[in-house]
Amino acid sequence: MNTAHILTAFDRDLEAAQALVVRMGGLVETALLDAAEALDTRDEDLAARVRAGDKAIDSLEDEINTRCALLLALRGPTAGDLRTVLTVMKIAASLERAGDYAKNLAKRTSALAQMPQVPGASGSIRRLAKAVVQMLTDALDAYIRRDLKLAEDVRRRDRDVDQMYNSIFREFLTHMMEDPRTIGPCMHLHFIAKNIERVGDHATAVAEQVIYLVTGALPEDERPKVDSTGTGT
Amino acid sequence: MDDMRGTVRDIGSTTMKISASDVQVHYGQNHALKDVSVDILDRAVTAFIGPSGCGKSTFLRCLNRMNDTVASARVSGKILLDGEDIYDPRVDPVQLRAKVGMVFQKPNPFPKSIYDNVAYGPKIHGLTRNTAELDEIVESSLRKAALWNEVKDRLDAAGTGLSGGQQQRLCIARAVATGPEVLLMDEPCSALDPIATAQVEELIDELRNQFSVVIVTHSMQQAARVSQKTAFFHLGNLVEYADTTEIFTNPKDPRTEAYITGRIG
Ligand SMILES: Nc1ncnc2c1ncn2[C@@H]1O[C@H](COP(=O)(O)OP(=O)(O)O)[C@@H](O)[C@H]1O
Ligand SMILES: [Mg+2]
Repeated sequence: MNTAHILTAFDRDLEAAQALVVRMGGLVETALLDAAEALDTRDEDLAARVRAGDKAIDSLEDEINTRCALLLALRGPTAGDLRTVLTVMKIAASLERAGDYAKNLAKRTSALAQMPQVPGASGSIRRLAKAVVQMLTDALDAYIRRDLKLAEDVRRRDRDVDQMYNSIFREFLTHMMEDPRTIGPCMHLHFIAKNIERVGDHATAVAEQVIYLVTGALPEDERPKVDSTGTGT
Repeated sequence: MDDMRGTVRDIGSTTMKISASDVQVHYGQNHALKDVSVDILDRAVTAFIGPSGCGKSTFLRCLNRMNDTVASARVSGKILLDGEDIYDPRVDPVQLRAKVGMVFQKPNPFPKSIYDNVAYGPKIHGLTRNTAELDEIVESSLRKAALWNEVKDRLDAAGTGLSGGQQQRLCIARAVATGPEVLLMDEPCSALDPIATAQVEELIDELRNQFSVVIVTHSMQQAARVSQKTAFFHLGNLVEYADTTEIFTNPKDPRTEAYITGRIG
């Protein structure tokens, strides 16, 4: 629907809510990139900035929810308008969770800085983070452009991310068995990997909202979940 | 406190009550209704929505042959009620209208007592043999219209002395009194305040346990609240007909979406 409402204020309200969610997406992307960078380079200052930045993300979500509540109460949106409001709220919730994970990565960076390096770990985590941040970027692009194909693609890539996580899990298991001194850092790194994988789930959730927004229905097939670690949640 | 708004429930029925096919209506040169085909469920509320002049009332009036009374109107196509053609020459339109009752936009009680308003239909159709039976029909009709408790002590008072919402429920009681199977309502709440509207909506939700209800409404929210099926009319065409939830969350036709989201009047 690209024709305007008879009530122009309705259009302004809808556009404002969508602009906020896009801005929130930008902040979360940056937080994740910075958190991954901080982890990779053991940059504690950068990690501290990521932690501090989470407040702004949270308050954006609050503002989005307030505006959406008003839209629902005052304008009684239906059809595509209703889906726009609902998806804005759901995407904002996913982004808020992804922001929390970025903050958690940053916290663990400080803890890891005191521990011995685990050979090969930073490379695998870097690749995982790269894939997940790209998923989120694409999910947000798909949202902005209402791009079904890109959204479907993001959904598919979550499978690869799950597989990357599974192999990282096995890698860490091997290290821990071979050298118990790596148990401390490996536990942290494992949480880090798990949290990045969860961000992938949220990027997928955003992509699914795009599909709902455009088609009016969520994808019916259960998203293939590959978890061979036996720790699946 | 109970919420007075009707709740959206599953459609309890899959039985067709009315089946209309290729219905066309002309008023002189004005082609007001174009090729409308629709199946209306028994024991469900069907809402007709669409901009003014799109033909909602015209189609509603086809369903009980009220258009017969409009000199310039020409109706063609087929309308079956329980499989029987209501335009068959052997059908008595007066009998038909007892089976397919109608409630209008403005409450229009007769200038008579509350009792007589309800008793009028059963009397002229000879539905009762004595006053005891008539009393019974009056009471049960007023109960079905959720008005009995408010008027049982003043059945002799004038129907026109009731509040607007009560008058509309009195008209519903009057329509119900002849034992109809279908109730047609043409914007029944447009002259009522929000409380009276909520009461009538609640009533409609109850009526659908016994009747097939068809309601024309200008309030999109009302259609969404009270109906299980919604038909969207535009310029004399039936554009889209589907489950109400579908129409209001994911309409298929861009004209439906434009209308219900407030983009075309
Ligand atoms: N009694 C009538 N005589 C002539 N034209 C009529 C009559 N009733 C309705 N029309 C015309 O038929 C069209 C549909 O009107 P109507 O069914 O009343 O629309 P709606 O109920 O959707 O507002 C309009 O163009 C209207 O002018
Ligand atoms: Mg009308």
